[in-house]
Amino acid sequence: MLAYLIFTLTIGGIYALLALALNLVWGGAGLVNLGLAGFFAVGAYASALATGAGAPILIGWGAAILAGLLAGFLVTFATLRLRDDYLAIVTLGFAEIVRLVALNERWLTKGADGVSGVRAPFKAELGVAGFNFFYLTLVAAIACLVWLALRRLDLSPWGRAAKAVREDQELARFAGKRVLRIKFEAFAVSAAIAALAGALYAHFTSYVSPDHFQPLITIYVFLAVTAGGVGRPLGALVGGYGVVLFLEATRFLAGMTPGLAPVQVAALREIVIGASLLAVLHLRPQGVFAERPPKAPRLP
Amino acid sequence: MSKILIDRRAALAGAAALAAAAAAPRATLAQAGPIRIGMIVPLTGSGGPYGPVMAKAVKAVADEINAAGGVLGRKLEILVEDDQTNPEAGVRAARKLIDVDKVTAICGTWASSVTTAVAPLCWESKTFLATVSGADSITLLPHQGFLVRTQPNTTLQGRKFGEFALEQGAKRVFFLTPQTPFADSQFVNIKAAVEKGGGVAERLIYDDKKPSYRTELDQALAFKPDALVFGGYTADTTVLVKDVFRAGFSGKKIAFAYSVNQKLVDGVPAEAVEGIYTIAPSPAEGSNAHKRLVKMIGMDNPDPYTTQVYDHINLIAMAIAQAGEASGAAIRDAIRKVSQAPGGEKVDNALDGLKAIAAKKPVDYDGASGPCDFTDIGDIADCKFRYEQVKAGKIALVKIA
Repeated sequence: MLAYLIFTLTIGGIYALLALALNLVWGGAGLVNLGLAGFFAVGAYASALATGAGAPILIGWGAAILAGLLAGFLVTFATLRLRDDYLAIVTLGFAEIVRLVALNERWLTKGADGVSGVRAPFKAELGVAGFNFFYLTLVAAIACLVWLALRRLDLSPWGRAAKAVREDQELARFAGKRVLRIKFEAFAVSAAIAALAGALYAHFTSYVSPDHFQPLITIYVFLAVTAGGVGRPLGALVGGYGVVLFLEATRFLAGMTPGLAPVQVAALREIVIGASLLAVLHLRPQGVFAERPPKAPRLP
Repeated sequence: MSKILIDRRAALAGAAALAAAAAAPRATLAQAGPIRIGMIVPLTGSGGPYGPVMAKAVKAVADEINAAGGVLGRKLEILVEDDQTNPEAGVRAARKLIDVDKVTAICGTWASSVTTAVAPLCWESKTFLATVSGADSITLLPHQGFLVRTQPNTTLQGRKFGEFALEQGAKRVFFLTPQTPFADSQFVNIKAAVEKGGGVAERLIYDDKKPSYRTELDQALAFKPDALVFGGYTADTTVLVKDVFRAGFSGKKIAFAYSVNQKLVDGVPAEAVEGIYTIAPSPAEGSNAHKRLVKMIGMDNPDPYTTQVYDHINLIAMAIAQAGEASGAAIRDAIRKVSQAPGGEKVDNALDGLKAIAAKKPVDYDGASGPCDFTDIGDIADCKFRYEQVKAGKIALVKIA
C-alpha cells in the first residue's frame, strides 16, 4: 500500500507541474493551450533520446527544457494572430503532430515500439523502494520550486501585465504593455515546464511511447487547474495532486459498487470523473483557491 | 443554511467512503486468503471492444476452478483494472494491482505500449505477466522469464506470408504497406522466407490517407511481381485494391484478414476483390478448449484475444498447482512444465490439469488459442494460421495450418 501511495504521489507531482504550466499560460496570459500533451511528449522524448545517446541525466533534463522552450516559441510564432477557440484548435493539432512524428520517424523514436529502458537516476544504488521514495521527494521539491517561482512571477509586474493581456489585450497594448512579447514568454516558459514534467515522467517509468501522449492527459490537467483555481499557482499545485488522488480514489469507489461487470465499473469511473468536473464548475466555478486580483497600488 | 448542511453531510459521506476504500484492501489481505490474479485490459479507449469479453472469459474460468475446490485449497480471485488503452493509465492500474492487491500474476495486457510500460513493474516486483500483445520488442525486454505471450510475433506472421506466397508459385513478391509498428519486421521476414525459396521481395511504404495509389502502384508493378502483399488496414486497402484492379494486375494478392474483411468485400466491386487471399493467426477452432470457451461465455466466435486470456488463466492456475506455491517466481519456474512437458498428458482445461498434477503426472496443455508452447524468451513456438480466399463476394476458408 505504501509503495502504491508513493507512486501515486509521484505521478501527482508530475501532474502538478503540468497544471502549473497550464496555469501560467491559461490562467496568466489567457491563452488556451490544448497542446499540453505535445510539450509533455517533446520533453519526455528529448530527455529519453539524449540520455539514451549517453548524456548524463541532468543534461537530458536540460535538453528537455530547451526543447520545450523552442517548441513553445515555434507554436506561439505559428499562432500569433489566434485567440480563444482558434488557438485551442491549433494547439490541439500541435499535440497530434508531435504524436504522429513520434509514431512515424522510426529512426529517431523507434515508432510505436517506443523508447524503453530510459535510465532511472540512482535506481541501482537505492534499490526499487529507495528509488521510488527518492523520486517522490525530487518531484515534489521541483514542483514546489516551480510553484514558488511562478507565485513570485504572478505577483510581479510581469504577472500583472500578463493578466492585463488576458483580460483585454487591446487595452494592455494601449497601456504600453508589450503584448506580443508577453505572449511569447508565457507560452515558452509554460512549454518548458511541461517538457520538464515529461522528462521527469520518462525517467520515472523508464518508458515513453506515442500512446502515452493522447489528448486525455491534457483534459485531466484542465480538470486539475479548473478545480484548483484558474489564475492562482497554488490552485494548480494542489489541483494537480488532487486530480491524481481523485482518479485513483475512483478506482476503489467504483470497485466497491456491488453487482457491476468490470466494463460497467470502468464506465462508472468515467461518469464520476465527468460529473465531478461539472460539479466543480457549478458549485465553485472559481476553483478551490480562487484568484485574488491584486489591489491597485496607492499613488504616492 | 440548509445548503451548507447538505454539503457538509455529503463531504462526510465522501470522506467515510474514501477511508473505507483505503481500509478495505488491507482488511482482506490475509495470508491464507484467496490467490489474487490481476487483469489489465482495455475497457475504454480504442481497445474497448475487446477488454470486456476478455474479463468475462477469465472470470468464468476462475469460477469454474473455484467451484471445483480452487488451487492448493485456495480460491482464485480475479481483479480487473481498465488500462484505457493508454500506457500511463495502465501503469497506474498495474501499481494498484501489484502494491495494494499483491497479485501473483497479471494477464491480458492488450496494446503493445501498455505491455511494454507495465512489464518492468512486473519483473521488478516478481509478478508474472501473460500478454496478448504482438510487437517483437516485448519479448526482447530484460524480463528474466516473468513474461510470456500467446500472440504470434510479427516474425512468425511475416514468415507465414512469405511461405504462403511461395506455395502459390510466386517468386517475385512486392509488399505494400503504410507505416505500422510491424512494417519493418514484417517485410524482413517475408523477404527471408521468399529468398529461402529462391525468390526476391521488395517493398514500398505509402501514406495511408491518400485518395489514390496510382504512382505507388506504378512503382510496384515496375518490379514485375507475381504476388502483391497488402500490409495496411481496411480504409487504405480499400483504395489500393481498386487501383490494383484498374491497373490490370493479374498475379496473386495476399492481405491480412483484419483488413480484407467482409466489410471491405461488400464495399468494393466484386471483380476487384475476387481471389484475394487473407491470412490471420487462428484460434484452435474445433479444439476441445475452444468448444469449452464458446460454451462458457455463450459466444460463437470469440476473438483471438479472448481465446488467449482463457489460456493464460488456465496456465497460471496449473503452474501455481505444479509449483505448490502462489508467487510470481513460482509461476515463472513452473509454467513450461504445464504448457509443454515432454510426453505429458494432453489437457485442454485447468480442471483436468489440476487432477493430473495432483496425481503427479506431467501435463501438456493445448488451449483455445493454440498449442501454447513457449520459447525461452516467452514467445509462442508455433500457432495455427487461417488462410481464406475471396470467392464471388464471400470469404471462403482455404485451410487452417
